[in-house]
Amino acid sequence: MLAGELNKHLAIALVIAVGFAAVPLFVGERYLLGEVIIFFIWAMVAMNWNLLMGHAGVFSLAQLLFFACGAYGVAMGTQLAGLSIWLAIPLAALAAIVLALLIGLACLRLTGAYVALLTFAIAEMARILIVTDTHCFTLIQNNCQQLFGGSTGFSRFADFGFRPILRGDWIVGHYYVVWAVFVLNLVALVVIIHGRLGLAFRAIRDNVGYASSRGIDRQRYQLIAFASSALLTGLAGAVYAGHFRFAGPSLFEFSTLMFVLAMVIVGGLGSTWGPLIGAGVMMIVVELAKELGDARSIILGLSIVLFVVFLPKGIAGGVERLRAFVFRPTSQNRSTTATDTHR
Amino acid sequence: MDIVIQILVTGMTLGAMYALAAVGLSLIFGTLGMFNMAHGLFMTIGAYAAYAAAEQFGLPLVVAVLAAMAAGAAMGVATHLVMVRFMLRSKAFETNVIVATAGLAILLQDFVLKLFGGYPYPQPVRIEGVVRLFDVAVARQSLLIIAVAMVLIGAVAWLLLKTRFGMAIRATAINREAAQLMGVRTNSVYLQVMALAGALAGVAGVMISSLSTLSPSMGGDPLLKAFVICVVAGLGNAWGAGVSAFALGLLEAAIQYYVGVRFGFPVMLVLVIAILIWRPQGLFGTEKVVRL
Repeated sequence: MLAGELNKHLAIALVIAVGFAAVPLFVGERYLLGEVIIFFIWAMVAMNWNLLMGHAGVFSLAQLLFFACGAYGVAMGTQLAGLSIWLAIPLAALAAIVLALLIGLACLRLTGAYVALLTFAIAEMARILIVTDTHCFTLIQNNCQQLFGGSTGFSRFADFGFRPILRGDWIVGHYYVVWAVFVLNLVALVVIIHGRLGLAFRAIRDNVGYASSRGIDRQRYQLIAFASSALLTGLAGAVYAGHFRFAGPSLFEFSTLMFVLAMVIVGGLGSTWGPLIGAGVMMIVVELAKELGDARSIILGLSIVLFVVFLPKGIAGGVERLRAFVFRPTSQNRSTTATDTHR
Repeated sequence: MDIVIQILVTGMTLGAMYALAAVGLSLIFGTLGMFNMAHGLFMTIGAYAAYAAAEQFGLPLVVAVLAAMAAGAAMGVATHLVMVRFMLRSKAFETNVIVATAGLAILLQDFVLKLFGGYPYPQPVRIEGVVRLFDVAVARQSLLIIAVAMVLIGAVAWLLLKTRFGMAIRATAINREAAQLMGVRTNSVYLQVMALAGALAGVAGVMISSLSTLSPSMGGDPLLKAFVICVVAGLGNAWGAGVSAFALGLLEAAIQYYVGVRFGFPVMLVLVIAILIWRPQGLFGTEKVVRL
């Protein structure tokens, strides 16, 4: 059953990858391609968060700290250390994993709501420290530049470098770089979720006592989930910085956290593809709401509250329930699943 | 000596405000098992209610503070009736409710912003002037904050420990089902706790805004500190939360003076994490034995 599920979801990932790879052939508008790039990035953050929260049951609110860590890594690597962006991206992801291990070791001794509060406090503390920093580290074009960018952050550092090569079509270059990271992320997630690691994660989430008695170390596996989710999220943050040439404290402020949280919740916590759908849905809804004026916060708040109360498993859970209702399992289906478990 | 008194007064003032927020947060967690991310907005709404009562309706200060308590309590009750009530029996309540109240927080913050605008108004509900304490000028407002917090927390302690009402709350906190079987109406206990915690948050909001200014996001920072206080005390331990609040307030004031204002909270947080590594159940928490 495990291998079958894995192959099925790898096939879905392949279809998604090929589908999005073809988009620039039909869409030339820079604005639309830019929107799809943003979708890739938020979908990655949401799906990685879902790995940690939905599958491993670690309720971390520091997810955007790792996203920001990736973005800041690229910004500081290129602007302050003068590295090539292609070197700065893996280094930034590495920084995210180191940060995650430190925070994870400290926080994962605790469980449940304690983890949520502590990770939230740590992320906020990092943000406040960066925002209130006024000490000039260097001068850039006669402007004071703090070590971590202060309240404005970093901007206008080197991007992927497609502008001289592709000229007006530079965004296509950006598109395929972000697409490649997105596909890498999808495959990594599918392999983790539908492999032995994912099984261990869900075993701990569903029943810590039983899982521990079968030899699954809660702290160790949750730390693995924490670190791998942070690595992938850091990578997403790194390409975000490479695309927008921006990294600043707004990346991990509360309203951004709520935006991504809404994607995960609306899409479906604990599913495989839910947060991908959630990211698309929330982006479209927020985009449409722009015409109604400043309604972003209201929509985010309402959708989070309504989904948690009425549809806690999100769109993915709703679809699953609908499918179970329409296609009641026949006796034949049941026998195939039984043989599948023997592998 | 002057410096010590200054730090003591500042620390006690901070502690008093944190305690009002943390005790309410802790009470809610103890009885409902719910972590209220919207608690900061209860404070904000209390502060704006006092502002509206004093500034726009010209009511006396005491009435304005009562208005803040009423507004906070109403928010607490409404949160329970409209949202939490439907989730109580759901699976993964502990984490789902954090998400739901966080959603509520961003919603309420937006309403406050749309209603009052983002302009940082000064809080009219405060007293001016200083008194001299061993040659140190101490703001009367600080002393008032400490006094009000002491009185309110004393009242809550009396309520919890000496009245039937408090006994019902404590019984529900210890074991919901057993309390129900003993004839405690747990649903009304929940409402009472939400109202009580909301009222405390409302007063905390007035106090906090009287030292800085009113703004829709003013609840975020004190909430963060109240979180940390509750975690270090052991979630759901109201008494421990009160004591920890004053201890951490004093500590923060000392660090702010000796190390720098920016580092007050970070040092506090690092210390808290160190404490939790040593005692994961919190300073005042008791270790739970889980039976499988």
